[in-house]
Amino acid sequence: MRLKTTIRTAFCVCAAAALALTFSLVSRTAPSKVNLPVGKVPLTSAGSLAFGPDGILFVADSVGAKIVAIDTNDAKPVAKASINVEGVDGKIAAMVGVPADQIVINHVVVNPISKNSYLSASRGKGPDAAPLIAKVDTAGKITLLSLDSAPNEAVSLVDAPEANSSGRQNPRMQTITDMTYVNGDLMVAGLSNEEWSSALRSIPFPFKSAEKGATLQIWHSSHGRYETQAPIRTFVPYDISGQQYVLAAYTCTPLVKIPVSELKPGAQVKGAEIADLGAGNQPIDMVPYKKDGHQYILIANTSFGVVKLKADNIETYPTISAPQRTDVAGVPYDKVSGFDNVQHLTALDSSNVLVMTGHPGSGPVYNPGPPVGPINLQTVALP
Amino acid sequence: MCKFIVAGLAVILPWGMTAEQNISIQFQGGVFEVTGWHAPSTPPATGWASVFVVYAGRGDIPPLLGSYAVEGGSLVFHPTYPIAAGVHYRAIFYSPSGGAPIEKSFDGPPRPSNRIARVEHVYPSDSVWPSNQLRLYIYFSEPMSRGEAARHLHVLDSEGNELAGSRGVFLPGEELWDPAFKRLTMTFDPGRIKRGLTSNERIGPPITEGKRYILVIDADWPDARGVPMAEEFRKAFRGGPAQRVPPDPKRWSITVPKAGGLAPLVIDFPTSMNYPLLQRMISVSGPAGGVIYGALVIARRETEWRFAPEKPWATGNYRILVDTGLEDLAGNHIGEPFDIDVFNKVTEHIDTKTVSLPFSVR
Repeated sequence: MRLKTTIRTAFCVCAAAALALTFSLVSRTAPSKVNLPVGKVPLTSAGSLAFGPDGILFVADSVGAKIVAIDTNDAKPVAKASINVEGVDGKIAAMVGVPADQIVINHVVVNPISKNSYLSASRGKGPDAAPLIAKVDTAGKITLLSLDSAPNEAVSLVDAPEANSSGRQNPRMQTITDMTYVNGDLMVAGLSNEEWSSALRSIPFPFKSAEKGATLQIWHSSHGRYETQAPIRTFVPYDISGQQYVLAAYTCTPLVKIPVSELKPGAQVKGAEIADLGAGNQPIDMVPYKKDGHQYILIANTSFGVVKLKADNIETYPTISAPQRTDVAGVPYDKVSGFDNVQHLTALDSSNVLVMTGHPGSGPVYNPGPPVGPINLQTVALP
Repeated sequence: MCKFIVAGLAVILPWGMTAEQNISIQFQGGVFEVTGWHAPSTPPATGWASVFVVYAGRGDIPPLLGSYAVEGGSLVFHPTYPIAAGVHYRAIFYSPSGGAPIEKSFDGPPRPSNRIARVEHVYPSDSVWPSNQLRLYIYFSEPMSRGEAARHLHVLDSEGNELAGSRGVFLPGEELWDPAFKRLTMTFDPGRIKRGLTSNERIGPPITEGKRYILVIDADWPDARGVPMAEEFRKAFRGGPAQRVPPDPKRWSITVPKAGGLAPLVIDFPTSMNYPLLQRMISVSGPAGGVIYGALVIARRETEWRFAPEKPWATGNYRILVDTGLEDLAGNHIGEPFDIDVFNKVTEHIDTKTVSLPFSVR
């Protein structure tokens, strides 16, 4: 016979282990050129991309739970550029020998020094898909980065795996949704496929094998009443009145500003909500820029197209303090015409952005799914 | 013999003077080979690609990536990536002697067509989902193609109309897969779940208490090979009340086994819990402090956790260790709800990682 016991007072609590990781997001002296060891690039997937100093390309490998820094040796300064390539997915497909529908382009960024663009992609759509990093130069020529031998360095995002007698693959995965390099640290946002986690990780670069970076919890304070953990979908560093902020867009649409000075290890950071972009939508990319003496932030969205946030005096806008009955709230913004079917948006130079466009997927209008080919790269003047 | 003669000629003749009438292009073993032309040991100044090039597809496309080698006197092209199903290859040899190019086409293996993939499970398995349900887990029998949820995953209302537009249920553009691509995690639009947000205030939660729905997963969802599933999947469910109270281990019921047997240790929860997290966020440590290994079963609509040890239970004091990240269906985790009502101060933060539940086996 089994003894059935209801637990009442036998409830002991173990203290959380204190984070003992160094964490620094304050301004520091720019490091000298980093020399990465040459070897095989240990990528099992290639997702979000970000550029660091001197042509260092960070590649997020969600499947492999790591981030790899690759020295592209592409640091010849170029001030202005124009990149226009039609059917970039079909061209990459031809180079790697698959039908175009088996190429998934995951992200695109521009090297801020050389203005050449870099795409992360997958050859195939299943678990055996091979990671690809393609360079599309300012002349439109496509080359694939060699992953067999390149100057690179990786940092694992997990501790050494525990012995697993069953041999089963751990189904948990942290999908890295965005990365940005700020003052010597790579900030990494992700979404777990299991728990509702809002951890934002900050990893000093150059990577040190024992230092996986510090994590902090990002919270979303909703109108002064509700608080909830809020995973960040995309974010950019932004200077407001000489103070370094991160402008972050949550998965649940609000756009917030977070002072970098608040990003301390173990902190529960609440972002001040400055805009609410509305329902049924996810922000994809953000590009801050100046034009004609005014400041703007261009935001590409899954459902709302591209919007232009008027960022002059952004510090003067009060935090949204009451539920809004309209689709838009907070800092004013306009929907921008001329940006159709934008899948990704990234800064190109002082006058232009590079957009990746495709035909909407075959899903319903409100959620068409990933783009179908041809995928085009197009240079568009900043609006 | 013929090949030998051609090869011999090529050896003594300079570039552009070969017996072209015998030149052919072969495709076997995943490589492309120019036969009947004796390749010199070193490439021409313009590179082997000026002599022999392979395209994967039609039209104006870049050449297939690969490497060249001279093997047994023949020029061989090794593609960098494996030959793929459904690809049309064109191999072109530009004769150094200046004659017309020799072109030959090949097809990769046909695309597979046998439909074998199925939806095996969907969690939550209950037929009542809270109106603030946060995550949906779909378990497939085979590795699947990603990027298909938008067109092949639907929620229909009681009239059979798809919840679309601003009534859309899931976070758009978000598919979270496991590394094997056999389990898909979908997130219900958190902007509609979080109290106080515009979407929640204006549209309401994705699921309405008391209403009936059908989850539909199309048979056309392709597996990782590109082949549709064997059959459609449907699951009817009803909206239930929102879950706002975080899981509290003090309210769990624990059934302790007797010493000497292999009967399971059982934990019963008042409400359904997150299925994948139940599998990894609860563990058992033994009298000596080490982890007890065994087999786990999640039962009764994720309200029961059953753990059978590999070895018979020994007499002594044990502990159940629960990660405070363990969530219920609405993303509330131990000691902390999904969204904390600060105004009413109904809850408090608990800065802990694990909760320990002692029990004794006799």
